[in-house]
Amino acid sequence: MSDPSSERDEAEAVPEAEVETRRRPSIVWLIPVVAALVGAFVAYRALSARGPSIVIRFETAEGLEAGKTQIKYKDVEVGVVEDVALAPDLSGVICHASMVKDAEPWLTEGTRFWVVKPRIAGGQVSGLGTLFSGSYIGVDPVREGRPVRSFRGVETPPVVTMREPGREFVLRSERGGAVEMGAPVLFRGITVGRVVSSELDATDDFVTTRIFVRAPYDLRVHAATRFWNASGIDVSMGANGVRLATQSLVSILIGGVAFETPAGAPEEAVGADAVFPLYASQSDAEERHFTHTVPYLLYFDESVRGLAIGAPVEFRGIKVGEVADVRLEFDRKAARFRIPVLVEIEPERFTDPNASDAERRATIDRLVAAGLRAQLKTGNLVTGQLIVALDMFPSARPAQVVWNAPVPEFPTVPAPLQEITANLTQLVQRLGKLPVEQIGAELRDSLAALRMTLEGTHDVGPALKTTLAEANQTLGSANALIGPDSGMDTELRRTLFELSEAARSLGLAAEQIQTQPQSLLFGKKGSQ
Amino acid sequence: MGARGGVAVTVRARTAIACGCARCHDCGLIARLSGVVHARARCPRCGASLHLRKVRSLERTWALVIAAVTCYVPANVLPVMTVTSLGKQESDTILSGVLYFLVHGDWPLALVIFTASIVVPLAKLVTLTGLLISVHRGSSWRPADRTRLYRVTELIGRWSMVDIYVVTILVALVRLGNLATIEAGTGAVFFGAVVVLTMLAAETFDPRLIWDRSEGRTAT
Repeated sequence: MSDPSSERDEAEAVPEAEVETRRRPSIVWLIPVVAALVGAFVAYRALSARGPSIVIRFETAEGLEAGKTQIKYKDVEVGVVEDVALAPDLSGVICHASMVKDAEPWLTEGTRFWVVKPRIAGGQVSGLGTLFSGSYIGVDPVREGRPVRSFRGVETPPVVTMREPGREFVLRSERGGAVEMGAPVLFRGITVGRVVSSELDATDDFVTTRIFVRAPYDLRVHAATRFWNASGIDVSMGANGVRLATQSLVSILIGGVAFETPAGAPEEAVGADAVFPLYASQSDAEERHFTHTVPYLLYFDESVRGLAIGAPVEFRGIKVGEVADVRLEFDRKAARFRIPVLVEIEPERFTDPNASDAERRATIDRLVAAGLRAQLKTGNLVTGQLIVALDMFPSARPAQVVWNAPVPEFPTVPAPLQEITANLTQLVQRLGKLPVEQIGAELRDSLAALRMTLEGTHDVGPALKTTLAEANQTLGSANALIGPDSGMDTELRRTLFELSEAARSLGLAAEQIQTQPQSLLFGKKGSQ
Repeated sequence: MGARGGVAVTVRARTAIACGCARCHDCGLIARLSGVVHARARCPRCGASLHLRKVRSLERTWALVIAAVTCYVPANVLPVMTVTSLGKQESDTILSGVLYFLVHGDWPLALVIFTASIVVPLAKLVTLTGLLISVHRGSSWRPADRTRLYRVTELIGRWSMVDIYVVTILVALVRLGNLATIEAGTGAVFFGAVVVLTMLAAETFDPRLIWDRSEGRTAT
């Protein structure tokens, strides 16, 4: 083999083979093709799963981490925060997030985003899971509305999500009380909803409270339903003792709104833009069953010390309204003070609720003609609180309701106490007019004369004694004269007997004359 | 064997191909294979197929290298490992893992992972591509160095599987339910594919081609 010549010989001896060059590509090329296909598939899947990018603006980026913080709905990941940056004007943070493709239909203007973190609010603890997993962004998707890609995150999680069946109601109150957002809405002690928001109106002093009542309890709210602030404990003292009303432990701590429909109220559906009053307490709400109030003005001349606003107006002990205002008025013409007391009467309490105003006026006119008057009365002897009492005073001076005044004026009578006082004053005045000194002088003179007379009787004593002894003697002799064994007695008896005999015969004769009067002239028949 | 490359280049070496012979891979018998290049040859002793050079070495290596490059992109882009710890999910790609260790001051570990998972596969792909191009161009430039490069490539190939091993072990070990769970990501699959494909590519490449070209022979 090492010899070059032999090598050459062999090469010449062996003919060159026909070489068939097949240039079919090797099967090995399948590997890169498969690799490319798989890579392309993965890339396609990653790209196709990529949904729209959105921008959410938050007050602070607390708990937000770029690339980590997820956006979840019902604990399903629907997106992830990609970038967190400060807003150019430093007023907040701008958070870029990429959503999943399925999120596209509900990225509308109604959709709300908020950061879920551990919270204790509204009587419930939420977001505890985020203690370990870190915060995430919650979303309340709304399909209806214009699609947008830029959102303003809400700072507090919405109390009610859009999908929850139920209904929202608007309450208005003068005092907000302690109804916090998220506080429970109670119906007979059961939590049936939440307070969505509670805010002071910009224009007036009313507090508008929005509540959400879950289905099916929202059907329990009618047009006549009353809402009250069920915050804390309602302690009231009445004739029956101390009354303590609470709704639930949660409402004691954080407040709440309770509602109830008065028994017998019509079950009318609630209008779309209905606004309910929010009463301060349950008793307040119960009292205001009669929403229709008619103002009347009562003029009192006497002191209204002890008459507070809100004092009841009673008719024979039954409340028919309350005092709305007390003022002082100087009547220039008459040069005297008058105190107008504005009361609100609930006429439904004593007239037909369906009656018209004219009918109602006629009724009241009739009652006033019959003697219905308002009067101040002491409601509480200890505290001296006054109430306005309505009662029938048939003997009162005739009066009428002044209907044409801005507020109808209702006739009044003075208070009973005042009447007594007036009478007493008159009495004292009369007593003052008596000539007391003259009477006293005369009385003194009379008494002196009397004493002189009595002193004079001292000399009469001994004479009187002898006179009495003599009288005694006289009586003793008289006794002997007319005693039972004296002759005079016997004589007297016989005389008396004869006298009775005579009287009898005289009676017979009289009878005779009555039956036979002629015998007086012609004598007795038998004797003829 | 012990001969330095420099020596071999200077002399017209007596290689098996120069003698028209082929060594059987299985039993080591040297058989004469003059001219029969594309026909099927068998070892007269053990019956194994005989060829002068690895069959279609360049073509196959090219295919595998291209496949490896294709897989290399998703291997680095997709997450290799997803750690779910107390409800908090974290996905890490190879590079983010390296950065994580680097930021947390664990730079030796970062260096190890960076070398094993990024430098080595990349170096292998570049080396193989370079070797393939040099063979195609019939370059006679430093064949001995290039052969050494090839040997290093073949040697370190398996070490880039470290990443895959770590992920595999972690996935098996960390099964603490809600406390912590580790799941392998899609990136790990691609990364494994890159490692395997580069190893196969190194295997199919015939380093003898480096010398064939430098000696003016045509590839087979």
